[in-house]
Amino acid sequence: MKSKRKTLTFENVTFTTINTLILILLSVLMIYPLLNTLAISLNDGLDAVKGGIYIWPRMFSLKNYEIVLKMHTIYNAFFVSVAKMLVVTFTNIIFTSLLSYSLSRREYIFRKPITILIILTMYFDAGLIPNYLLIKDLNLINTFQAYWVPSIISAFNFIVIRTYMKTIPESFIESAKLDGAGEFCIWWRIVMPLCKPTLAVIALFVAVGSWNSWLDTLLYASRAQNLSTLQYELQKLLASAMNSTVAKGGMAGAQAIAGTGGQVTTPLALRAAITMVAAVPILCVYPFLQRYFVVGLTIGGVKE
Amino acid sequence: MKLKKILAGTMAVCMLIAMSACSNSPASVPSSSSEDSGSNATSSTESSNKVVLSPDKPVTLTAWITTQETAPAPDNKITKLIKDELGVTIEYQIVTPDNVDQAIGVMIAGGDYPDLVGTTDLKLRLLEAGALRKLDDYLATGNYPKLSEYVEPYVKRMSYIGTAVEKGLYIFPNYNRFFGEIQGGTHWGTGFWIQKRVLVDAGYPDLSNMTLEKYFGLIENFMAKNPKTEGQPTIGFEVLAATGHEWGLTNPPQFLAGYPNNGGVIVDDKNVATIFADKQIAKDYFQVLNKEYAKGVIDSESFTQTFDQYLAKLATGRVLGMHDQRWDFGTANDALVAAGKPELTWVACMPTYEGVQPWYMDRDVMNINQGFGVSVTCKQPEVALAFLDTMLTDKWQKIISWGIEGEDYMVDKDGKFYRTQQQRDNYNNVTWRASNRLMALRDVLPKHNGSFDDGNAFSPDDQPREFFDSLLKYDQDFLKSYNKQTWRQFMNQPKDNPAYYPCWNIALSDEVNQINQQLTDANVQYLPKIIMGSTDSFEKNWTEYVDAIHKVNVKAYEDAINAGIQERVKNWQ
Amino acid sequence: MAEIAVKKNNDLDVTIVKKKNKLGAKIIAQRGLILMSVPILLYKILFAYVPIYGWLIAFQNYKPQIRNIFKQQWVGLDNFKKLFTGLMGDRFIRDIINTLGQSLLTLILSTVFAIVLSLMLNEVKNTAFKRVVQNITYMPHFLSWIIVTGLVSVALSLPSSGGFINSTLMALHLIKEPILFLSKPDYFWGIVAGSNLWKELGWNTILYVAAMTAIDPTLYEAAEIDGAGRYSKIWNVTLPGIRPTIVILLVMSTGYILQTGFELPYFLGNGVVVERAETIDVFVMRYGYQLGNYNLAVVAGIFKTAVGLVVVGLSNFVSGRLGQETLV
Repeated sequence: MKSKRKTLTFENVTFTTINTLILILLSVLMIYPLLNTLAISLNDGLDAVKGGIYIWPRMFSLKNYEIVLKMHTIYNAFFVSVAKMLVVTFTNIIFTSLLSYSLSRREYIFRKPITILIILTMYFDAGLIPNYLLIKDLNLINTFQAYWVPSIISAFNFIVIRTYMKTIPESFIESAKLDGAGEFCIWWRIVMPLCKPTLAVIALFVAVGSWNSWLDTLLYASRAQNLSTLQYELQKLLASAMNSTVAKGGMAGAQAIAGTGGQVTTPLALRAAITMVAAVPILCVYPFLQRYFVVGLTIGGVKE
Repeated sequence: MKLKKILAGTMAVCMLIAMSACSNSPASVPSSSSEDSGSNATSSTESSNKVVLSPDKPVTLTAWITTQETAPAPDNKITKLIKDELGVTIEYQIVTPDNVDQAIGVMIAGGDYPDLVGTTDLKLRLLEAGALRKLDDYLATGNYPKLSEYVEPYVKRMSYIGTAVEKGLYIFPNYNRFFGEIQGGTHWGTGFWIQKRVLVDAGYPDLSNMTLEKYFGLIENFMAKNPKTEGQPTIGFEVLAATGHEWGLTNPPQFLAGYPNNGGVIVDDKNVATIFADKQIAKDYFQVLNKEYAKGVIDSESFTQTFDQYLAKLATGRVLGMHDQRWDFGTANDALVAAGKPELTWVACMPTYEGVQPWYMDRDVMNINQGFGVSVTCKQPEVALAFLDTMLTDKWQKIISWGIEGEDYMVDKDGKFYRTQQQRDNYNNVTWRASNRLMALRDVLPKHNGSFDDGNAFSPDDQPREFFDSLLKYDQDFLKSYNKQTWRQFMNQPKDNPAYYPCWNIALSDEVNQINQQLTDANVQYLPKIIMGSTDSFEKNWTEYVDAIHKVNVKAYEDAINAGIQERVKNWQ
Repeated sequence: MAEIAVKKNNDLDVTIVKKKNKLGAKIIAQRGLILMSVPILLYKILFAYVPIYGWLIAFQNYKPQIRNIFKQQWVGLDNFKKLFTGLMGDRFIRDIINTLGQSLLTLILSTVFAIVLSLMLNEVKNTAFKRVVQNITYMPHFLSWIIVTGLVSVALSLPSSGGFINSTLMALHLIKEPILFLSKPDYFWGIVAGSNLWKELGWNTILYVAAMTAIDPTLYEAAEIDGAGRYSKIWNVTLPGIRPTIVILLVMSTGYILQTGFELPYFLGNGVVVERAETIDVFVMRYGYQLGNYNLAVVAGIFKTAVGLVVVGLSNFVSGRLGQETLV
């Protein structure tokens, strides 16, 4: 109540006004690309090629969406994408938080070496082929497991969660120990509930990352049509609409391309529709998780 | 106690989700052994075991296809037809050209190939990695008459002549092995394009003996009279230089000098190739562009725009001319036609230097680096080949290319194929095609390009009647004024291709490919400066450019191309 | 207060442990923690470190068709020499500089603006408005680079091609003639950083905004009692509150200093600006993957990793010396 009085000062009013105005301006600037993409996606393809469409379609058409949504593979791919997202998010949260918990305990004797080894993985990438060979040797190629098994721990997420866990007062853990609780019990019953906000952020990061990835489908599951993901299918659809990229060899494929000319839409407009179809489901995740953010979260909260 | 329960619970949930998710992925095992059709004793290439495809002996073939086309829908009617009549099921692995570099890398490293592999790159990485079977002995059995017929006259040309694996036939080229008469009305290749309204405005000027001077003269005159097009500034000439389309900038000098498209080199009478980027023929061309730029004819955004922006400008109809290949700007052309503005579309001119015959149009070149091969891990090569052989029969070729008679095309009383407007519209619909055509398969299968024995063209696009039916009134009148029937007639009569032709599909080593890339990079970096620079500094800029070219190991590049030419001259005759 | 309690407990813990002072005893006592972390570590080692043997191909004339990596032809440091000397070397070094320039500028701009935006959002008292703004600002993150580069190149083009930046500048009489932004090499790093900023700004604020909500409200009250104004509170309470987050994120990102995304310079770059546009990743794309030259990609990858490790190690050390957060 004390602060009520203060908010009425001149300084505060100006501050709030300017702040609000800047945020509105920023929002306009940020929402523009999406509106523009939406407008193009709802526009006749051939007309859209001319450019000059901003936030309103010039020649309204649902053709682009019809093409995307009538694609026979898209529904299965959508469910695979959702399943993949859920499994990846769930396993990530469980295993990364388990690791984070153990390494947040200062007395743990292997804390330092393990932490270093985990963090360094952020900067090492073996490359395409060795990674593929490993997945192949583990017999994961063309299985659903190839999507989540290799990636249940992320070093970045580990750092975020661990640093948050460090801020949990030691006394909580000590008293639980006195009550005879084991480490797993403390982790699950005491630490995890306290970490909800962090876990929500991490869940968002992991879910979005999983949703947007398609390279894993290309490399690890492209022979299994029923494991294809939404992003990968949309990628392929886009390629089928692009009739101009076969320029590698100069003239190669001139005839090949000519044979499929006269599309009912254009890559530009189809790309826009594909973007919308790919983005809208995942855009819904954030508002859902947002309510967890109101309670605290810090990374690097308490010094050692 | 409790914690164990909790842990067990989480693990169980985790596994459950994982398992339920993978349980809807049955039997996607890549090894396609399927029910063995009995007759195909594995690995043997003896002549006795001729495979007859029949619905009684169902087989499954896996196929890797690099294409921009999408996979057929599960209810695809041709898939069903192939299954019903031949007992063949195809499992597709479709990779788009954008992703092929990564996908090929891991496939080779893994060493596990599908039965049929559609290679599509100039480097023939799969072939050189030993992924494909040599096919000569299989064909020698005489079990595959259609494939033999397809291959025979050109077997040397189609065969691999490098050193990485044994020389021989490994793939069946997918395009431009012609049978019978080559038909078709559209010139899909290269040219200096000029808007039809410019020619109409100039009173249908004679287009033979075209020079750069005449070409730009027409454009400048029209531009002076029409500084605006639909309220926007008219653009005289657009230079195409977007990533992946750099040839729009670099190719013209060879055409101006009367050479056919050999990529970055010109080849003299003694079959010796040299790069032309640093030669007088290039200098003259870029000097003209430099002058035109100074006059404001050339769009100043030419070198900074993306390919999308280039197409957008073309599609607004305010671009009077450009050097490009017809297939490359197809979308812009379609957009203008759809908007009912054929006068804003283009027709090809062939400017040359003084006293030189144009050679813009060449004889369509066989796609020797693309097509199906049979993999070394294929357990049933005879079945795979029998399938390809069957697909080459006229019956299946027509199904693949035209569709089903009565549904997808009609036959007139002379036995000529044609389509109704509805059938054309169907074909242009991606969704329809997924259920009614095998576009991805068609892309890589060997094809009966040219004409069938009954006189019909292989593809609807080449059928004369189809071409004329699709012409707009404006275009019909335009053609009439020039006393021509097709757009192809605006081009030169293609001479016989030289024995080695074309140089751009000579397979190069990594080192040489790097040099090639360096040359492209130098062009893209320096040529815009030359064109956009002041006319006074042209000489200085040109020297700078030539110096940059000479820093690259041009000799090694020319040597490699010449070695390739000699090899072809020796082997292809 | 909580901090003091933690420290006390910690000291207590240490003394207890010291008394036992036997590794074996400790291991038994901490078997739960070991059970939690060691299997996961082994798992991570399998997926992150074991494939590193693939780096051997940097020292080979690698042919993928010879499956066994140990049977390849060894060429020592030849691949590295090729990359760092001659014409290729000049170019690669130029590309290193471009990569550094683009990523440093991006890092600085995104960090500063993300913090500023987070602070601004934190000052919004209307929850609904705050949520809406947050939801909108993070949307561009979901557009692919190809879409974003398309929009950027249109925005930067001439007014007749829809270039609204030129139109705006001309309407404000700041310039007389439109500027061809994408033909000016000196602007290119800025364009890359600006595009990155536009796309990722909202996304980058998520961690900061979340960190701010965790600041103890009593600290603000105490500051108010001391007569602190709004700016003073931001400066003395909010910023210190998220300082650990800022520091940790900065230290982590320094390790990625050579890992710029390749899309922006690849799609926006052109021959005219290539001197400032081409980055290591673009180079690797053109000369590595697209030519089937896998060694080159690995050699460049090793170089990037080595530099990244040195830089992240250094910045972690410096951060520790300055009394700030460290990664370990």
